Amino acid sequence: MKKNWWQDKFNLFMVAVAFFTFLFMTAAVGTLMIKGLPQIGKALAAPEIQFAIRLSLYTSLISTAFCIVIAIPVAYVLARVDIPMKSLFNTLLDLPLALPPVVSGLCLLIIFGTTAFGAWLEGIGLPFVFTVKGIIMAQIFVNIPFMIRVMKSTILSVNPRLEFIARTLGCTPAQAFWKITLPLSKNGIIAGIVTTWARALGEFGAALMLAGATRFRTETLPISLFLNMSTGDLEGAMAAANLLIIISIISLYIFNKFGGDFIGGTRGV
Amino acid sequence: MIRFADVSIKLGDFSLKNVNLEIKEGEFFTILGPTGTGKTVILELIAGLYRPDAGKIFINGADAENIPPERRKIGFVYQDYALFPHLNVYKNIAFGPQLGKIPSPIIKERVKDLADMLGIAHLLERFPGTLSGGEQQRVSLARAFIMKPRILLLDEPFGALDPNTKRMLCRELKKMYLQYQCTVIHVTHDFSEAGMLADRIGIILEGRVRQVGGSREVFENPLDQKVASFLGAEPLKTVFAG
Ligand SMILES: Nc1ncnc2c1ncn2[C@@H]1O[C@H](COP(=O)(O)OP(=O)(O)OP(=O)(O)O)[C@@H](O)[C@H]1O
Ligand SMILES: [Mg+2]
Repeated sequence: MKKNWWQDKFNLFMVAVAFFTFLFMTAAVGTLMIKGLPQIGKALAAPEIQFAIRLSLYTSLISTAFCIVIAIPVAYVLARVDIPMKSLFNTLLDLPLALPPVVSGLCLLIIFGTTAFGAWLEGIGLPFVFTVKGIIMAQIFVNIPFMIRVMKSTILSVNPRLEFIARTLGCTPAQAFWKITLPLSKNGIIAGIVTTWARALGEFGAALMLAGATRFRTETLPISLFLNMSTGDLEGAMAAANLLIIISIISLYIFNKFGGDFIGGTRGV
Repeated sequence: MIRFADVSIKLGDFSLKNVNLEIKEGEFFTILGPTGTGKTVILELIAGLYRPDAGKIFINGADAENIPPERRKIGFVYQDYALFPHLNVYKNIAFGPQLGKIPSPIIKERVKDLADMLGIAHLLERFPGTLSGGEQQRVSLARAFIMKPRILLLDEPFGALDPNTKRMLCRELKKMYLQYQCTVIHVTHDFSEAGMLADRIGIILEGRVRQVGGSREVFENPLDQKVASFLGAEPLKTVFAG
């Protein structure tokens, strides 16, 4: 007869580790939610939280839109076009993903705050240092490698022969991309948008460095959490945190729904 | 007319070496060879997916190098049919005509005619993922035929079919070929299919074209030992019995 898992010491040990990990994660998030959720109604009425929600939504939607518009062409190049030194590009584009966000933020602060290029941008009406535009810039910089990665693997999962068949039926390369590759990447695009958006909402380190933490000015939800913590307002911090948790759970759900099954074959050229 | 002049290409570990081949206007030419010898690559070279590393391909006398795939007037039926999974059967077939300025009632009519002819009229609303291999294959044929291509490339078009369906579709295909008067280049590793359809046969082994000739001639007089042993897998009689 087949042994049950608890009768085998090795499996018992592995299951125990898995169980306690799960238990601790649930307990940590759960406690915050249990303590914070009852107050969330009151918190939502506070003008400061309302401002933070609005600013978070505004900046994250704009940065996500930029991410998708930039990531699709870049991902297409990495997936389909034979350019020299591709692996170098791959590594460089992934760099912000590996950097601690505060370092990314400092990079941005240096280029926008201390160079002629930054001064020039400010002159044409694009100031990034300590501004809302800076929050958007920080979110884009931190998230774009992630979006590029998702889009690249999505495009790679579309059978390139489908594009080619479309060409033989009369499509120009651009038409083949619009009519075949892009629609077949739909699920990946949705998954990418949702996760990028959720990450943008939670972006803290880089935005803090570039845009600062000023109440009612550059106060997004995570910045609000930080400001409330530093002034000892635990309730306000927990309200912001709970909103972020709820958003994360929803985005995780959507990502799992769309991220798992990209359509299109995988026979690669 | 299609001419390969000393064409070579290297793809990964595989290389196609010094292919010289001439396919005449209006001919039904069959490329016969074992798996992994570059049959599909030859079709893809003709259709313009790859450029040769060396040598030239001429299509009706013009150097194909400067003709992008969308202007080669080539219909391609892939081995795995390569239907667009996000479009239903109707939209798959109508894909090419819908790119142009053809009014949609005319497209509709042409799709219907072809679908009737191929026995897939009842499938027009379905999506490729829900079709059987044989059904997908007919849709793929219809999608290529509707463009009235001057050159039709068929990559093992009957690979997934049972012998009876295969024989029937072979006959239909031959009929359509005679009606449309295009040049057909057909790839298979099935000798009986080659015997049934081909005007001429090219034998390709390990990335080289070993022999080209009339279909009877190739089976009766294999050029060398390698061709003979490849063809020898099946006795001559069965090939022309059908
Ligand atoms: N883009 C590519 N990159 C690398 N290798 C390739 C590429 N395309 C084809 N090949 C290789 O070239 C060889 C010939 O491929 P091809 O598809 O032409 O074979 P085939 O003769 O059509 O075989 P089959 O009868 O199984 O379809 C194979 O080994 C294949 O793996
Ligand atoms: Mg093949």
